[in-house]
Amino acid sequence: MEYQNKQPDEGVNITRHNPVIHLLKLLVAALIVIVVLVVTVNMFASRVGRSVPFKYELSLMSHINYDFGGNASSDQMQTYLSDLATRLMRHMNIPEGMSVTVHHNHDDVFNAFATLGGNVVFYSGLLKNLPHENAIAMVMAHEIAHVLHRDPAAGLGGGLATMMALMALTGNAGTGAVGNVLNQTGAITQTKFSRDMERAADNAALGAVAMEYGHVAGASELFKVLQNKVSSSNGDRDDEWYETFISTHPLNVERINSILDLARYNNWPLAGEITPLPVGFHTWLN
Amino acid sequence: MIEIGIFLILLVCGYLFGSLAEKRHYRSIIKREAELNSLPAIASRYPATDKCYQQHLVYGGVVVASDYFKSFLAGLVNFFGGAVVSYESLIDRARREAMLRMKAEAKAKQAELIFNVKFETMTIGSGRLASVEVLAYGTALVPQIPSDPPVITPQYARILALNPSQA
Repeated sequence: MEYQNKQPDEGVNITRHNPVIHLLKLLVAALIVIVVLVVTVNMFASRVGRSVPFKYELSLMSHINYDFGGNASSDQMQTYLSDLATRLMRHMNIPEGMSVTVHHNHDDVFNAFATLGGNVVFYSGLLKNLPHENAIAMVMAHEIAHVLHRDPAAGLGGGLATMMALMALTGNAGTGAVGNVLNQTGAITQTKFSRDMERAADNAALGAVAMEYGHVAGASELFKVLQNKVSSSNGDRDDEWYETFISTHPLNVERINSILDLARYNNWPLAGEITPLPVGFHTWLN
Repeated sequence: MIEIGIFLILLVCGYLFGSLAEKRHYRSIIKREAELNSLPAIASRYPATDKCYQQHLVYGGVVVASDYFKSFLAGLVNFFGGAVVSYESLIDRARREAMLRMKAEAKAKQAELIFNVKFETMTIGSGRLASVEVLAYGTALVPQIPSDPPVITPQYARILALNPSQA
């Protein structure tokens, strides 16, 4: 009789499971863990960042001695922006010891930002697109409000702590798709915090602009300019929901509506005399 | 948006094509295992001593790649810990395929038995390029044709000395 090798039963070495359900369960659990982690760490680290006295920010920036591009700026532009900042700060309850330094950078970047040490940077790429002083004032007050709210320190603290926590947590999940998905989830969760900061800065800025000019005309126009710029740069309306979801700033349409609501609530006039840009403004840009 | 779309497409494609390839592979494995069932492959280190055999080293190797879905699922399991069940079928297929290739080689040599069968496993690549190599090897015993002059290897001579009744 020929020897017969009896085969083992099928599936002895394989766990029977539905891979799709298994994936969904693990994915949902991982996303919940990441969201909870990012929210907790960010809240804690942001508070720690805000509690650090402003003088340490100044001290840190004086040691770094970073050139924001202000040295290359024209004297007229520098003076104009600094004067505008001083005028707006009068309405913003800036605490003693806090200061704001405005820089003008010639790069063709459509942006302005506030960073540690009360440094506010305006790029020529943004300034040349703003139609009047009221729009510049809204941006300026917005960035000063970030300094006032200690957002750069909070953002730095929250961002660093979140990044380290995500690295520690997702490091075990290896590189590639899983790491990307978990890190993206962390980044999207983090945008919630930056959006809250932007909304608070908008509200504070609108109040300062209203007190300086007696109305908020021009502030909503600013966001229309930003909206047009974004639309013309990507031209992709299908991405709008994603922009809403992932952008660090609230959507411009939302911001316009929010500004209008706030103005109505405070009885700030929505119309008024627009202050034109000073003569020679565009020549100062170069 | 595009990144999310690409990721989902890769995940779905990985699942569909990976499942299809796996089912097809298992069908082939089960069919060939039945065909080669009469050729025993055993782990014993001692050869059969019932008659005179020629000994041949036979081996079968295979490299099986993971798909995107399996790798992603394994990465998630890595996050929480636990059995990486998505790779179990991968390893199972690789082991059985390597064994079948080894048996096919032995069958081609008209072997009656493979003894001292062992497996070697090696990962190739890492992360999303993870794949596994399995090598099965053993000693095939091919009966000597009666007209052949008897080949008494030193090992066989020792076995004969231990079992005089075999002579």
